[in-house]
Amino acid sequence: MSDELRVDSGALIFATLADVYISSGMIDEAISILKDGLARNPNYHLARIILGRAHYLKGELDDAKKTIESVYEQVKDSESANLYLGHCYRDSGQKEKARGYYEATLKINPENMEALKELEKLIPDFTPPPVPTAKKAEPAVAEVEERVERKTEDEEEKEAVGVGEEEGEVAVTEEESVAVIEGPEEPAVLSKEQEETKIETVGSLIEELPEKKVEIETVPLEALDKPVKRLLALDTVKGVFISTKDGLLIKNYGKAEHDIEAVCASVAAICMDVDESFRLLKRSGLTRCIIEKPDETLCVMAVGDSLLTVVTEVEAKPGLVFVYARRIIEDIEEILG
Amino acid sequence: MKIGEFTKLQKVLGAGLVSEDGFIIEGQAKFEYDMDKLGAIAARVANRIKNSLSVEKASAIIYTQDNVLFLRDSSEGIVFVICQKDANVGLVKIRLDKLA
Repeated sequence: MSDELRVDSGALIFATLADVYISSGMIDEAISILKDGLARNPNYHLARIILGRAHYLKGELDDAKKTIESVYEQVKDSESANLYLGHCYRDSGQKEKARGYYEATLKINPENMEALKELEKLIPDFTPPPVPTAKKAEPAVAEVEERVERKTEDEEEKEAVGVGEEEGEVAVTEEESVAVIEGPEEPAVLSKEQEETKIETVGSLIEELPEKKVEIETVPLEALDKPVKRLLALDTVKGVFISTKDGLLIKNYGKAEHDIEAVCASVAAICMDVDESFRLLKRSGLTRCIIEKPDETLCVMAVGDSLLTVVTEVEAKPGLVFVYARRIIEDIEEILG
Repeated sequence: MKIGEFTKLQKVLGAGLVSEDGFIIEGQAKFEYDMDKLGAIAARVANRIKNSLSVEKASAIIYTQDNVLFLRDSSEGIVFVICQKDANVGLVKIRLDKLA
């Protein structure tokens, strides 16, 4: 597929392919396809920003700066362009300039973590700009406005570049917003008529949008902290960790100096073997086990699809560990099922 | 090896000695337990513990919903004891410690 796309570098999809190349660490390939594509589509500014980013990632700071700055006037509202220019100037020691670009990035997107972090490093007493509350309070309106603007800009871009609808859609990347700078900027002050039209359009779109509640599931593992701390308070307890039955670590409350992931995998492998073996005997599987090592003891408890492992010293009393662990088991059952 | 001592204990269902490759050297069972299978399981789990945790001698107590299985590496092989879940696990462990 990549060959077909490479051949058809006249299509704007080359930017998407280049983005994929960059994500896969194939920077040279990305630069090659971007240069080729830009030779055919010199006004495709998004591709130029991606090329600048590729140069930056390759360590070619001058090329990166030159590439992005060549279109900066047209893309000055691009979060990515400002961010990477900031990176370029930071790396070349021009901190003031870098700071300017990071600040511009934050003006475009106050939640850009990279820019925030860089500014925190550059300015010791830096306070992040407030996130516009309207965006949070009225997400539906903001989303609709974005859709309206994007729709207009998409149409303009299609006209400007003259590509088919399908190609235009495929070329969209995470820096989509950058691609649409070519359109005329919206006047800062709208006339009353324009404002009314915009409100009407937004209103009609709000009605069209289906009401959809987004439920974000959170796993409140913090609830386990208290009972686990009680268990860890026992002198003989060296560490506690929770893993899945297939050996992946969920949470480590470590006092123990272990390669915890290796221990998780080992414990899971032992438990799997036991389960499988007892299944052969048509008996129920493991509920808990105590594995005695020369230097420590592992008390493992199966809780649903998870394993709670308590690492103790040899002289620990496993009975006491199981009593303390009972409360944690109840909580894990409730939280992780 | 006095395997018979374990089966005298209340609610102990069987005990045995098995080689590392899973062949029963000695075994006694009270009820329907197939000691060959149980020995093979004990050897498998013991080998898994030794390989996974890089220990020379495996020692574990495994609880299932109905039973408790003890296994312990000794100089003669792997000793295993299976008992009901409400058996005196502590007593079995003490005997096993003495034996191994």
